[in-house]
Amino acid sequence: MAEPRGHVRVPADLARVAEIRSLVRRVAGDCDAPDGCEDDLVQAVDEAATNVVVHGYRGERGWLDVHAERVDDRIVITLQDTAPMFDPTEVPEPDLAVPPERRRPGGMGVHLMRQATDSIAHRPRPGGGNILTLIRRLDTST
Amino acid sequence: MALDTTVEHADGRVPITIVALDGELDASNFTGLVKSVQDLYSAGTRHLLLDLSALRFMASSGLVALHSIVRILGGEAPDDAEAGWSALHAVGHDVSGGSTQTDVQLCGAQPAVQRVLDRTGLSRLFVAHPDRAAALAAF
Repeated sequence: MAEPRGHVRVPADLARVAEIRSLVRRVAGDCDAPDGCEDDLVQAVDEAATNVVVHGYRGERGWLDVHAERVDDRIVITLQDTAPMFDPTEVPEPDLAVPPERRRPGGMGVHLMRQATDSIAHRPRPGGGNILTLIRRLDTST
Repeated sequence: MALDTTVEHADGRVPITIVALDGELDASNFTGLVKSVQDLYSAGTRHLLLDLSALRFMASSGLVALHSIVRILGGEAPDDAEAGWSALHAVGHDVSGGSTQTDVQLCGAQPAVQRVLDRTGLSRLFVAHPDRAAALAAF
């Protein structure tokens, strides 16, 4: 039997990111992923896609192409875009020792991506753009 | 799935406005929630309970909304979402002088949402209750 997988391509529009979350939920469900694993994957892909729309395309027209599939005991999500280079893995970690009321509330998205996945990798897309790969094991905790 | 917001009022030791969130709070709709709370504050709300029991998902932008809501109830301007995402990264205001504020409290957070609050440390900003009844008794 083929491994669970799915694909969606949506315009670079924050209102369409929900469709990417739906895809990941479906693939995680097909993999019988535990709730915590599914929640983490949904969180990570949402933050990644939102970053592409906000920091990558910055209001310009474009698209996001997202594949999700099971590979052995992991779910691998690949996001592709044609936006200017943006590598979220280079974003510094927020200082969580700072009380939240004194902390800058932005900049938490990449932190959440890291917390929710086992690995994040960025590489340039041939022809322009970005390829971001999110990997998480099919278990309950990262 | 969109975000539906329901507003109710309850009388405890103080008048409490309950805002129940149903759906997904993300980058496409968090400014609408902040605007709703701004309107409630303008109409006199000073104690707010956010009922998260039907909130299925919260993105990091939802954290910005919660942070802004605390600022609004504290009589301060919300984080400047209108100036764009970059402005959100530049905000660094105190909202409570270092102690846990009680003007805005939470109830009913589901595991996925609670995890986001915990992983970012924002749960420290709120008194949280398991359900609405417990929250209303605590205000």
